Amino acid sequence: MKRSPFVRDLLIAVAAIGLLALLPAAFPAKAVSDFVIRLSALAIFATSLNLLVGYGGMVSFGHGLFYGLGAYSFALLMQKAGTSVPVAFALAVLINAGVATVIGAICIRLKEIYFSFLTLAFQMLLHSCIIAWTSVTGGDQGLTGGLPRPPFLGIHLGEPRQLYLFCCVVLVVSLLLMRHFVQSPFGYTLRMIRDNPRRAGFLGIRVWRIQLLAFVVAGVFGGIGGLLMSLFVSSAYPDFAYWTVSGEAVFMILLGGMGVFLGPLAGAAILLLLNDMVTRFTEHYSLVLGIVILVFALGLRKGLLGTAADLWVRWRAPAARQPAKG
Amino acid sequence: MLTVENLRKSFGGVSAMNGVSLAFAEGSLTAVIGPNGAGKTTFFNLITGAFRPDSGRVLLGGDDIAGLSAPEIVKRGIGRAFQIASIFPSFTVRDAIRAAVNAHQGRHARLLQRFPIAEAESRADEVMELVGLGSRAGVASGNLSHGDQKLLDIALALALEPRVLLLDEPTAGMGPEERWQMIETVHQLWERKKMTLIFIEHDMDIVFKYAQTIRVLSYGTVLAEGTPDEVRRHPKVIEAYLGAHFETGVHAGTQRP
Amino acid sequence: MDLQALLTCVSTASCVVTQATGGFISGMLLFLVAAGLSLIFGTLKVTNFMHGSLYMLGAYFAYTLYNLTGSYTVAVIGAALGVGLFGLIFERFFMSRVYNADVLMQLLVCYGFILILDDAVKIIWGPEFLAMGMPATFQRPPILLAGGVLPVFYLFLIGVTLVVAAALAFLLTRTRAGKIVRAAATNPTMTSALGINTAVVFGGVFALGGLLAGLAGALAVPVRSLVAGMGFSILIESFIVTVIGGMGSVAGALVGALLIGLVRSFGTIGFPLFTEGIMFLFMTAVLIIKPSGLFGKER
Repeated sequence: MKRSPFVRDLLIAVAAIGLLALLPAAFPAKAVSDFVIRLSALAIFATSLNLLVGYGGMVSFGHGLFYGLGAYSFALLMQKAGTSVPVAFALAVLINAGVATVIGAICIRLKEIYFSFLTLAFQMLLHSCIIAWTSVTGGDQGLTGGLPRPPFLGIHLGEPRQLYLFCCVVLVVSLLLMRHFVQSPFGYTLRMIRDNPRRAGFLGIRVWRIQLLAFVVAGVFGGIGGLLMSLFVSSAYPDFAYWTVSGEAVFMILLGGMGVFLGPLAGAAILLLLNDMVTRFTEHYSLVLGIVILVFALGLRKGLLGTAADLWVRWRAPAARQPAKG
Repeated sequence: MLTVENLRKSFGGVSAMNGVSLAFAEGSLTAVIGPNGAGKTTFFNLITGAFRPDSGRVLLGGDDIAGLSAPEIVKRGIGRAFQIASIFPSFTVRDAIRAAVNAHQGRHARLLQRFPIAEAESRADEVMELVGLGSRAGVASGNLSHGDQKLLDIALALALEPRVLLLDEPTAGMGPEERWQMIETVHQLWERKKMTLIFIEHDMDIVFKYAQTIRVLSYGTVLAEGTPDEVRRHPKVIEAYLGAHFETGVHAGTQRP
Repeated sequence: MDLQALLTCVSTASCVVTQATGGFISGMLLFLVAAGLSLIFGTLKVTNFMHGSLYMLGAYFAYTLYNLTGSYTVAVIGAALGVGLFGLIFERFFMSRVYNADVLMQLLVCYGFILILDDAVKIIWGPEFLAMGMPATFQRPPILLAGGVLPVFYLFLIGVTLVVAAALAFLLTRTRAGKIVRAAATNPTMTSALGINTAVVFGGVFALGGLLAGLAGALAVPVRSLVAGMGFSILIESFIVTVIGGMGSVAGALVGALLIGLVRSFGTIGFPLFTEGIMFLFMTAVLIIKPSGLFGKER
């Protein structure tokens, strides 16, 4: 009998955590663990956006809203309210879920490009609020003074190695959960709506409810991404809510491939690597990135993992039947 | 079973449904015919909640369902398939039907279980077997032949165990031989599932061979209704729609009116 | 937030005149950019996210041409034509390849171009702020109106833009080319069935959009400083304008641009940190109440 897919995913997750835990032993450089921490934040964020874009066909241009919201709500709770890490984490998740429910309910009524623009408008509205509400947010300087990181349950996040492990665990658990949601009946219903919303309605599915649920789930995980980043930089900046955050996440998704669950993770890793490598050799990072983007957009439409997956399918069975995406 | 009373709908001042009243008996097999633009598909759209009627009632087992949303009407037992097969291209045949069964069983929003759900399996297999798609279970829907896509569209509706099934031109776009196969499949479905089946059809040979009763629509009104024999002899039908050679019983079938 | 200052300003004629003219010229520049954006979207159903970069190119082209020739007229015309040509090339060789792809691919191609052009500008013209200064023709004392300042160049800018707006309206409603563009917008298959080459129409619309954005950039040079990335804020504002006015509507773009221009100039007095916030608030409200925009057709 075949092992159940969930057990298989679980084993992969445990193995991934093990490997990540061993990584600093093999590469002790701080740059390596910092890379993984930044990757964990961005990969969770990009994967959460892909729940909407790749699985739901809902092209949000404003997903950075939740990245910024997660970062600021977590950082403010830690800094101003002095809550413990788990409480601030849970409250930040709840705040994101609440805001996603309200904004999602408004945005989902609109279709296509209008949905995209409205999500972008909400994100920029948050950005403007952060800039304007200086007494709380510190305005365009961001939060100053650093985040206190009181120990909890024997975990001390002020300790770099423990912070590293914490981020790795959050990354893997988040990916595992999102993977599970995508493979759940809800995930399949979401894909049905992406393929053919009208038909889904004639199968008795209340399309907006599923879309709203997807929006909330994506908003929560997007927030977790931002929260990790604020933990890493020990602050929160208005840039976290700027539209470029959404733009880069979109690029990560397309770079890795939106048809593959781990595509956004791969895209995030490549973009970060590219960023770190190119800035070391030239100050013209934008130029190089722009050319890379054009190559991908005009050449490798399905992204790296998507293209690789296609080759794999072709190699395994030349006249293969194509399975459902994702 | 299904009764519509004085159904009206206009689009931007143009009247598409002009006071239609019809009744469909439980377990009957009815063909809806009429020239292009007669309002046949609009009639289906009004019953299934795609459009909201301007006035009139749609009674399903005594409840007025006019004005309800499409998902609500589906939940009450009306399924439909479309003139142009409406499917989920990225899904395999089996997964699409499983997902439709989930929707019917109210399990489609579950986050914590894995797809497929065991409870949906037997139902999904039964539906695939009913329409004869079992051998193509693993094929992506978008890669199916035209005929198989039409079958899958019907299978998706069947997954909902409808009391009333509306098929909009099940044989549209098919060659003569394929048409007879399709209508034979539909007829077997009807016999086995004992549901009320209403289909729109242009091929008169098929209509007169298979339908128990016929409803003729023209310009958004009911031109005639009755058994095939009654409709065949109905003076208005002969005059306005079917043409003189029907009187003599000649098949007018294969070309579209 | 300083609502007191805003109240004081709107109750003083001189402040109102000064701020309003400032708002008007912002609005006019914005209109030229937004009209092209709107036209491209209306005709091609494509959102040109790099439209702000065309504005930037226009400004730099004009700057260089003015320094070479010393003639502002040559600079304006040359910049507009140059950017129009650039728009055509961009459409033919890059954008036209992703028409059938996801909107995300179009976004990505544009994003790539934004990055490349910003860096190219830095390489060619340097990363510092540049200022061209006012051309000699316009170096005259400003007109005073109710105590408010009205620079001569502002009048010129407003005049030129209104002429262009009128010409655009004429082009779209009265000429064969304009009718084809509008037909292509409502029904692309019909126009190609009628034997109209949609490739020419699409290329033409992009060239026209580029021309307008380049003109805006050239007109902005005497009153704005130049820097790589300057296209970005005008892109965001043009989006707001097109959404408020209605995608594809030139009249909507004019009204929306004036509104946003005035919000910007009066907002900097009343709520300097939340000026953008107000604009996005407008955009959000319009999208919620009437997604097709104030002048857009319901779909």
